[in-house]
Amino acid sequence: MENKKSSSPAGFIDSTVVPGDVVLDLSSMTNQTIKIGGGLRQDCDAISVMKAGTLRFSKPNKYWVESSQKRYVPCVEDTVLGIVVDSKADNFLIDIKGPALAFLPVLAFEGGTRRNIPKFEVGTLLYLRVVKANFGMNPELSCTDVSGKAAEFGPLKDGYMFEISTGLSRKLLSSPTCPILEALGKKLSFEIAIGLNGRVWVNATSPDIIVIVANAIMKSESLSTAQQIIMVEHLLKNIQ
Amino acid sequence: MDVRLANTRRLTLNEKNFIKTALLSEIRTDGRKPFEFRNIIINFDREDGYAEVQLGQTRVMGIVTAKFVQPYQDRPNEGTLSIYTEFSPMADPSFEAGRPGESSVELGRIIDRGLRESRAVDTESLCIVAGKLVWAIRIDIHILDNGGNLVDAANMAALAALMTFRRPECSLGGEDDQEVIIHPPEMRDPVPLIVHHLPIAVTFGFFDESVVVIDPTHNEEAVMAGRMIATVNANGDICAIQKAGGEGVSQRVIMQCLQLAATKAADITKQIKAAVEAYNKERALQMIKREHTCVDTNVKEGEDQTLDNKGISELVGKYMERLKLISGESYPSQNINGEIETKSLKRGTDIHGIKFSSTPLSWDPYSKGVDPEFLKASVALQGFSTQNKKKESSYEEKPSEAERPESYEDVNPNSSAVDASRIEMQMIGPKTLKDAVKPKNKRKKKGSSMI
Repeated sequence: MENKKSSSPAGFIDSTVVPGDVVLDLSSMTNQTIKIGGGLRQDCDAISVMKAGTLRFSKPNKYWVESSQKRYVPCVEDTVLGIVVDSKADNFLIDIKGPALAFLPVLAFEGGTRRNIPKFEVGTLLYLRVVKANFGMNPELSCTDVSGKAAEFGPLKDGYMFEISTGLSRKLLSSPTCPILEALGKKLSFEIAIGLNGRVWVNATSPDIIVIVANAIMKSESLSTAQQIIMVEHLLKNIQ
Repeated sequence: MDVRLANTRRLTLNEKNFIKTALLSEIRTDGRKPFEFRNIIINFDREDGYAEVQLGQTRVMGIVTAKFVQPYQDRPNEGTLSIYTEFSPMADPSFEAGRPGESSVELGRIIDRGLRESRAVDTESLCIVAGKLVWAIRIDIHILDNGGNLVDAANMAALAALMTFRRPECSLGGEDDQEVIIHPPEMRDPVPLIVHHLPIAVTFGFFDESVVVIDPTHNEEAVMAGRMIATVNANGDICAIQKAGGEGVSQRVIMQCLQLAATKAADITKQIKAAVEAYNKERALQMIKREHTCVDTNVKEGEDQTLDNKGISELVGKYMERLKLISGESYPSQNINGEIETKSLKRGTDIHGIKFSSTPLSWDPYSKGVDPEFLKASVALQGFSTQNKKKESSYEEKPSEAERPESYEDVNPNSSAVDASRIEMQMIGPKTLKDAVKPKNKRKKKGSSMI
């Protein structure tokens, strides 16, 4: 067996992994806490891969698998954009582009009590946080952050929503700022909310700015940085 | 059940409101103007009668097939045309496999009406024996991806497939001329359908405040209040109009839409015809057989083919070039040919066949690509495009020379571009009648091809 590889995951980091690969052997690491993100699963002492993609590591101890698809696999602590499908007594049923509808408890709002339950129409767009995401169960969401404050979560008014792949939404959320957003932000003023489930919401004062931003982002997935900047310049020339 | 619920595509209130307000300022979400069609891409990758049309994100495939049937009793000397649609669940989460939904039936009916009522396809030419045997043309439409406006895309796919479809030629024979002989494609080239004109469907979407758009996308279709489909041909004749429910529209708006549809139909007809033309050219190139020794039978078949495809013969006449082999006898060969031959011989050619191909031929393990300098020199010599499309019909005049090895310019099927910098020539050294008799020599000669 390749004991070397499994004990030092450095061999796997930033390389392509497929489901079934064992990337970490916990028996060889003692007294360490490791955080496991999306695409990885713990099987007793071995951390194995569940989703094909690239293995990523961020200090001090977080591992996850990155891949770009149109479909979203819910993962805890992700921020997503959900659409209200139905409202029940205890939960709202929300569509987050995952394999199952997610539940948003009626009380999961800042200062939420039985008396001031918000009323959401079917089709409302919400910015949410994933609280629980277990395989086989409907995920659970919340409109508050970990400490219970509202912190920008909640319904998004006006604007326009469009769908992209999960890889592109991760790129848009990366820091330093993604080049396409920087290039657009230098010339246009708009408000944007990006969900890790591949949904983006844009709002601006006039519709043509919204249309330009939306189309620029949708087309930027396969372009390199320089190409993205050129494309943005080209688009902006046409309106000004 | 839960999975299907999760899969359905939902529209947010934000999107609905945005699409409506943006349309008031004549802005569409994909940046188009209200009366602009999306990018149309037409592909004919496979055999005759197969077309794939892409209209933005919408993809539709059309396939045409034909078979023998008995004609309807009230139309004994006309063939039949039928359209079948299949809405694959792969195209949209709301499509179900199996029973066709309402929109699927409507789509089939619109296309059927456009083709049948306007008599776009000549059904009388499909009759073989009046009252007994006619051709039944069947058009299958498969929706591959639903990005909005399926009707227009499906109509284009059906038309493109009809224009490239070819049915086997058949003739009457037998004792009392009652037997029908179907000629296989190798013997006689299949015959295209007679299509008089192209009825193009143009879809209009109506929104509140009398806003009209052409070619709605999926999102716009979910928001629009009504729609109308006008099937018009390039001459401006209205073949069919469909407006099934939806918001009421004034007479003036309808007239404006019909006029707009006529202009759009002219553009789209041009595009379809250009794509079909390119496909036919490629098809003709592929039909040229590669000849390495003289083989009588092949030659004769080629003649038939030449005569059958009249449409291309003029083009052929323009670009024809034929190279004759060097043999002991002197041929009335053109000067240019002679020069090319000498040039190629200088290159240290073999006695046996030398084949120059622009790219390595897939079936020949020994062939290599052509030497680019040689190519430039020979193209400069000729001074015109050297694409060879067909053998000349004058070939018939010299049947006695059939024994002499003939060489033809083979053009790599992929090089239908006008650049014509590809020449495939074959020079075979001095030959005798013996060579003509042994077809096995073919293989050996290919093996020795070198540059």
